[in-house]
Amino acid sequence: MYNKKVMKRFLKPKYAGKIKDPDAVGEVGNPNCLLPTEKIHTNPNIMKISGLEVNEKVLDYKGEYRRIINRFSRNYDGKIIKLKNKLGVISLTSEHLVYAVKLPKHDKYFRTKNKKKLIPSWYHAEDLKKRDVILYPIIQKDEDLNFIDLDVPKKKYDFKSYNLPEKIPVNGDFLRLSGYFLAEGSIRERKCNNIITFSFNINEKEFVNDVVNISKKLFGIIPTVKHIEKRKTSIVTINSARLARFFKRLFNKGAGNKSIPQFMLFLPISKQKELIKGLWRGDGYVSLNRSNPRAGYSTISYYLTQQIKILLLRQKVIPSIYEENEKVVKGVKHQKSYRIHVGQRDSLLRLCSILGMEYIPKSFASVDSWFDESYLYTPITGIEKIDYSGKVHNLEVENTHSFVSEAFTLHNCGDLMRIYLKVDKKGVIKKIRFNTFGCGMAIAASDAMCELVEGKTIDEALKIKSKDILDLMGGRDVPVLKVHCSVLGESALKEAIKNYKNKKK
Amino acid sequence: MRRFVYMDNGATTMADPEVVKTMLPYFTEKFGNASSVHGKGQEAKRVLEESRETVAKSIRAKPGEIIFTSGGTESDNLAIKGVVYNNKEKNHIITSNIEHHAVLNTCKELEKEGFKVTYLDVDKEGFIDLEQLEKSITHKTALVSIMQGNNEIGTIQDIEKIGKICKKNNVLFHSDTVQSFTKTPLDLKRVNVDLLSFSAHKIHGPKGVGALFVREGIKIKPLYQGGAHERSIRPGTENISGIVGFAKAVSLCKSGHVEHMKKLRDYFIDSVLRDIDNVLLNGPRKERLCNNANLCFRHVEGEGLGAYLDVNGICVSSGSACSSLELKPSHVLTAIGLSKELANGSLRFTLSKFTTKEDIDYVLENLVKHVGKLRKISPLRS
Repeated sequence: MYNKKVMKRFLKPKYAGKIKDPDAVGEVGNPNCLLPTEKIHTNPNIMKISGLEVNEKVLDYKGEYRRIINRFSRNYDGKIIKLKNKLGVISLTSEHLVYAVKLPKHDKYFRTKNKKKLIPSWYHAEDLKKRDVILYPIIQKDEDLNFIDLDVPKKKYDFKSYNLPEKIPVNGDFLRLSGYFLAEGSIRERKCNNIITFSFNINEKEFVNDVVNISKKLFGIIPTVKHIEKRKTSIVTINSARLARFFKRLFNKGAGNKSIPQFMLFLPISKQKELIKGLWRGDGYVSLNRSNPRAGYSTISYYLTQQIKILLLRQKVIPSIYEENEKVVKGVKHQKSYRIHVGQRDSLLRLCSILGMEYIPKSFASVDSWFDESYLYTPITGIEKIDYSGKVHNLEVENTHSFVSEAFTLHNCGDLMRIYLKVDKKGVIKKIRFNTFGCGMAIAASDAMCELVEGKTIDEALKIKSKDILDLMGGRDVPVLKVHCSVLGESALKEAIKNYKNKKK
Repeated sequence: MRRFVYMDNGATTMADPEVVKTMLPYFTEKFGNASSVHGKGQEAKRVLEESRETVAKSIRAKPGEIIFTSGGTESDNLAIKGVVYNNKEKNHIITSNIEHHAVLNTCKELEKEGFKVTYLDVDKEGFIDLEQLEKSITHKTALVSIMQGNNEIGTIQDIEKIGKICKKNNVLFHSDTVQSFTKTPLDLKRVNVDLLSFSAHKIHGPKGVGALFVREGIKIKPLYQGGAHERSIRPGTENISGIVGFAKAVSLCKSGHVEHMKKLRDYFIDSVLRDIDNVLLNGPRKERLCNNANLCFRHVEGEGLGAYLDVNGICVSSGSACSSLELKPSHVLTAIGLSKELANGSLRFTLSKFTTKEDIDYVLENLVKHVGKLRKISPLRS
């Protein structure tokens, strides 16, 4: 099929490879990027893509943490696709690859049983339709911890505080207490009188007693309990400045900032159940006696919401996450909050068993989302196209080339061709390398182009035409069918030079 | 050491030297026309009928039910058009979306003429859904055409069950068995199928000859008019030498060959999956053609890999867009749910009775080497 000149280049491409610290990179085939505000799961945070740095670790499509090896940003002017599912939203360029299962156009695939037979793959965002199913990874890391050190020193002039154990067991009791604290607890800082308080509804005697007992057992401190009839609350106070500082460090302070400590996210699933129990008893509700039984959780911390999502996914409970904007109800100002709903039958069953509640489902709910060992499968619930002009970002992640946003699993590249340039002060291209996912012709043509470009100034390089590349490969001998394969390199080069010029500005 | 390994027996096979030897006299001394009444003609007539019997016997059909054609494509056309043109009241055809183009494009052509066609979906292994098939049958359905063994991914459909469904609903059933013939058991005493397409060159016979089985009592309309050859269903002087070669090829097929290919195929698939990471087997593991292995090498473009193998004397075929004129990846691979990237990274390896373990080892060695090389320069995985 190929002539000798093409064959020679194809078999031994001289310029294939990459440059470690290139002055510019050009990609074609798939200009995939996300809007700067998209949030990416890192270890252990969830951060805006624009704020991520090389060497930080992000969650990959296998539910493991991988290092960022490169980050890109560029200006974009055009259509952006906004995809929605139960977990959230993402806005990306139309060819960005999303890990999904595409449903063939047939009513057979209304049935979940049949959907489960399809193979997941990476699809361009623009090819996805409402109802197609996306995959979201469950964190695979599993690291048990038996004790944590209470590594907060006693203050110099602190003579009155209790003697605390040096190590605190990371057991069900402690995790449940952590849950209560994250939901209902706060730290009151007064001079010489830092305390931890938990406020419950006056009827939640069981929880009050639970906190009291745990405190006795773990810290040897008997908390004080105050019932305030007027406000219908019971307040449990643990009087220990040292413990207060320890809790502050562990969970952060203030309802908007509180978060689950990283190590708790990786504890064995069985232990995490107690954490969920504590959280739910505090800020959650379960309402089973209604036509659509459901459970919910509400918090003003975005970060905590995302962490609870991770916990629930590990338990194979499907959360639906909503944002509730700032509002005023009956004269009371409510901050922007996040709600987690659990309504799907099997998920609710699992959650109820975690919470130790009995739930006998009355109906067979339709199952649109499901789990396997490593993923949540959930349908796309909405697609929008919006116009956008501004910066867009992408990452390059080692090995698995993927990362995870709040609601979607994304590939970091899917481009067909990448060109790396090394340019000296005079604007001469000193070194050029290419990567390609292409046929023999694409490889040969890229190699020929690199040969033409190396040693030329960037302005000379821009003058190279695809005809010049073709000539180097035998001109008319190249099959017509294959000519299109040879133009990729040229566009990648132009892109790289454009990026180089932008960078210099 | 460089070898020549032909692993594209799904495209065509080398004619068995014995087949060629049997054919040769029919070009020279036994050149008669089977329609002639003289000795030379009768000599040809005799061997034509003997050949028909050999082919018929291999599937336990009656000799009168075999019509010789020019190959698989003609057989498919004749079967489908022959049936629907003959039945004025019915205008509906059911087929699957992973059929060979000889069936798919025939159906598409008929759609232009006003016929209605239902294309059944397949699951990720390429199996049709029997429930969907049964639901799709209406009182207007004239024919169901489902291939036995898929040419690309090797999926073997349960034609016994399909046959039962068709019989229950009183619909004719055609099956393209070009790939599966002699490789998969087919016993017409057990399976209810009304029409079958065969081709000689996939079973070490000559090119340009094939056959159509038409169950006794079923009328089909010829595609064109001429003499009374092949019961006027397929007019035109019989390709005696080809037919003799076809029959010889059929008689040379032994069940041992199937076992041989199956063993090597499994060895090949297991080794590739073990030695190279990120490889997917397209199609099922068990119910697949004994000589077919279709593998997807992630992050690698199939045509490029195929070209590397070719340079090293290995012939395979790719499902890549780059190797087709339309620049679209294979319709079969897309139908089983592969994305563009995955379909473009797929290669088909098809074995024959001549394939040896040394051949397979040589291919393996080359695959490991070249997949690694191409992945190194792939932007999808650096």
